Amino acid sequence: MNTSIVNDAPRSATGREHGGHPLSVSGALVRRTLLRVRRMPAAFVPSIVMPVFQLIAFSGAFGAAVRLAGVKNAMDWYVPLNAVQGASFGAMGVSFGLINDMQTGFFDRLLMAPTKRWALIVGPMAGSIARAALPVALVIVIGFLGGMNVPGGPLAIFYVAVAATGIALVASAFALGLTYRMRNMGAATLTQFAIFFTIFLSTSQVPLSNMAGWLHAVARVNPMTNVLRLARQGLLGDITWNDTWGGLLAIAVMLFVSCWFALSGLKSLEK
Amino acid sequence: MTAATATATHVAPPRSFATAVHHTLRLTQRSVLGRLRQPAALAPSFIFPLFFAALGSASFQRMSKLPDFPASSFLNYTAAGAIVQGVLFAATSSAGDLATDIEQGFFERLLVSPVTRTAIVIGRLGSAMVVAITQVFVFLGIFLAFGARIETGVVGFIGLTVSGALLALAMSGLMSGIAIRSGSPEVVQGSFPMVFALLFLSSSFFPRQYMTGWYKTVASWNPMSHVVEGMQGFMNQPLDIDQFLRAWLIPLGIATVSIMFGLRALANRLAAQ
Repeated sequence: MNTSIVNDAPRSATGREHGGHPLSVSGALVRRTLLRVRRMPAAFVPSIVMPVFQLIAFSGAFGAAVRLAGVKNAMDWYVPLNAVQGASFGAMGVSFGLINDMQTGFFDRLLMAPTKRWALIVGPMAGSIARAALPVALVIVIGFLGGMNVPGGPLAIFYVAVAATGIALVASAFALGLTYRMRNMGAATLTQFAIFFTIFLSTSQVPLSNMAGWLHAVARVNPMTNVLRLARQGLLGDITWNDTWGGLLAIAVMLFVSCWFALSGLKSLEK
Repeated sequence: MTAATATATHVAPPRSFATAVHHTLRLTQRSVLGRLRQPAALAPSFIFPLFFAALGSASFQRMSKLPDFPASSFLNYTAAGAIVQGVLFAATSSAGDLATDIEQGFFERLLVSPVTRTAIVIGRLGSAMVVAITQVFVFLGIFLAFGARIETGVVGFIGLTVSGALLALAMSGLMSGIAIRSGSPEVVQGSFPMVFALLFLSSSFFPRQYMTGWYKTVASWNPMSHVVEGMQGFMNQPLDIDQFLRAWLIPLGIATVSIMFGLRALANRLAAQ
C-alpha cells in the first residue's frame, strides 16, 4: 500500500493533485497496521498475554478485597479493567509503528501524499481498534470461564466494548501526538507510563468507597473512574443512564483533547 | 571477534584468590557505575514498587482492619513485597546490561584480558547485590517516613537487607545465565514475564489466607511466597527463627543453583569459542 498512497493520486485538468479519498488512505493505514502484526507477531503477543495474565493475577490476589466491597465475583470487577487496559496497549504498537516509519523514511512519503492530514491520524487510530479486538475478546471469554456475572445482559458486554474502544482511540491519539513531538522510542515509554498511571489512579482495584486518603481524592476526579463505571455497570447490576453518561462524556472529552494533541503534533512536525 | 578469541585462548588467567577477588570488585564497581550512569534504566525498579505500595495501601487499607490480617497496616504489609519487586526488576535489568556487553563486544574484550573468568559473572552479581542493598535502604527509609514500623527492630532491618541482597544474587544469577547463553538483551527482557508471574502468583501483594482455589495452591507452591512471608515476618511479627529460614535460606538455595547455572553458561560459551 505504501507507494499507492503516494503515486495513485488522481489529477484534475489543472494538474492539481486531489489525492485518494481520506477514508481510503485511513483504510490502507489500518491494513498496514494489521500487516505489521502479522509480520511481527512477537511484538503483538505481550498485548494479548498481559491483560489475560493481569486478569487472572488481580482476581486471584485481590479477589477478597473486592468481595469485601460487595462484588459477587472478582471477575465482575477486573474484566472491564483488563479489557480497557488491553485495548490501551494498542497505542504502544501505534507509537512503535510510527517511530519505525519515521526512521525508515516512509512517514516522509506519507506527508508528501496529497491527502487530508487527519487521514494520517484516523488510520493508526482505527488500526489500534483492530489490534485491541483480540485481547478484549479474550479477556471477556476468560471472564466467562471464571464465572463472571452479567446481570445487565448482552448490553453489559456492549458497554465493556464501548469503553475499551474509546480508550483504544484516546490512547492511540495520545501516542501519536507524543510521538510526533518526541520522534523517538521515549514516546512509546512515556505513553505506556501515562496510560498505566491514568488507569491505576482510578477505581482500578477497589470501589471509591473503599479507598483512603490521597487515592480517593485523585480517583474521584480521574475521568477513567467514569469510564470504568460505564464498563462495569452491567456486570455489577442493572444498566442505568446514571452510570452511562459520565463514561461516555469522559471518553468524548478525552478523545477531543487527544485528537487535538495528535493534530497539533503533526502540524508541528511538518514545520 | 575470532582473532580476539584466538588470542584469549592463549592468555592464562591468573589463579590467585586475591587477584580473583580484586577483579571481581573492579568489575562490580564498573557495573555499579554503569547502572548509575543510566538512571532511566534503574528508575523503574524504584518507582514502580513504591507506586504499587502507595496504591495498595490506599486501596486495601480496610483489609488490614480484619482480625486475622498479618500486619498492623497495609503499608507495613506491603513493604516486603515492594522490596522483592524492586530487587527482581533491578536484577533483570542488570542481566540486560550483561547481554548488552556481549552484544556490543565488551564481553569479548574481557575474555582477551587476563581477568579471572568467574569474576566476569560474579562481578555482575555483586553489582546486583549493591543495588538491592541500596533499594532496601531507600524503600525502608520511605516506608518508615510514612509511618511503617519494623517490629523486629535493628535485627529485622539487617534481616531484610541480607534477604534483599540474597534474592538479588539468586535472580541475577539466573538472569545472567540467560544473558550469557543468549547474548541478547531482547531475550533477557523477554524472560521478564516469568519474573512478573513469579511475583504476582505469590503473596507479595496480598496475604495468602485471603486467596482461594487454584490461585492459592499456586501461591503456596511458589517459593517467592515463602521468601516474602519471611520478610513480612521481620516487618510485622516478633523475631522468630522461621523468618531467617524463609527469608535467607530459600534465596541462598536458589542463588547456589542459579550461580552454578550462570557459571556453566559461561563455561559453555567459552568452550563454544
